[in-house]
Amino acid sequence: MHIMEGFLPWQWCIVWWLIAIPCLALGVWQLKKIIHADREALPLLGVTGGFIFILSSLKLPSVTGSCSHPTGTGLSAICFGPWITSVICAIVLLFQSLFLAHGGLSVLGANIVSMGIVGPVIGYAVYRLLKNTSVNIYLTVFLATALADMFTYATTSLELALAYPAEVGGFGTSFILFMGIFAVTQVPLAIVEGIVLALVFKYIIALKPDILIRLKIFSEAQITTARGDA
Amino acid sequence: MMVKTYLLEILTAVAILAFIAIFLYTSSTMEGAEFAGSDNVGSGLIAELSGKDPESFAPLIPQWEPPSGEIESCLFALQAAIGGIFVGGVFGYWLGQRKSMSDAKVNR
Repeated sequence: MHIMEGFLPWQWCIVWWLIAIPCLALGVWQLKKIIHADREALPLLGVTGGFIFILSSLKLPSVTGSCSHPTGTGLSAICFGPWITSVICAIVLLFQSLFLAHGGLSVLGANIVSMGIVGPVIGYAVYRLLKNTSVNIYLTVFLATALADMFTYATTSLELALAYPAEVGGFGTSFILFMGIFAVTQVPLAIVEGIVLALVFKYIIALKPDILIRLKIFSEAQITTARGDA
Repeated sequence: MMVKTYLLEILTAVAILAFIAIFLYTSSTMEGAEFAGSDNVGSGLIAELSGKDPESFAPLIPQWEPPSGEIESCLFALQAAIGGIFVGGVFGYWLGQRKSMSDAKVNR
């Protein structure tokens, strides 16, 4: 999902930076608050953040004959909301633009918006929508993480289509072309990511159910049911 | 009962195996599949849409590039390792915490 350095006109770089900065500021503020409020939340942050580091470094082959990587952001979005997730993503993306030439400093804002903001916001929205329904916890985690992944790539396509509308057909045509590259490649990866992170969530529930209850991520009754049936 | 207990583990294994099978199938049947990064494929489309030479896109902010694929994969492995340390460390911490809690209960 990285837009490469130099491939986005500077006007668009500024637009995406302006969207990214307030979200990051909010994330840093929330992060400070949660660290002061509950030290036991830190290990959970380590696990969810750790998976963003791991999954976003795995470039996997896909059906389109090209490679792409999962994002891992959904789990963190479920546990800590989208803005704290933005901060962790910003750290990963900064590492990748400084040392790996994946993305770059001028396009970092755009890449934070796709992977660190839109993806987690969608994941969090899916989780909130399904949280108080009878939908199984693991299905909720699967849908939230897989859709966070998919929408990250849809956002990259959107960002590029806005900057490079096709001569014939304009924005719409460009968007479909970019979706053909980014989103289609991503479908199998997003499905596998969703299943793997649902399994990870099962282990978090098995080891540390009380932190999930205390942070009100799921209710005690839901956690008890989940421990019983999977 | 076994199937129900380990349903997610089984699903994960099936998904990963299916993923590998699809990869082996596409990589052997698809003509011209290079398995390059979708970032690069996307950049190619940008060049096509804007009618410019892909080489003419210069970084807006000067950028260090890993001199070779080996160094790049080294740094990617480093990134994954950092994440792995966090995940493994915390799971171990939680496991120890749970164990010391149940020990305390037994001793009482």
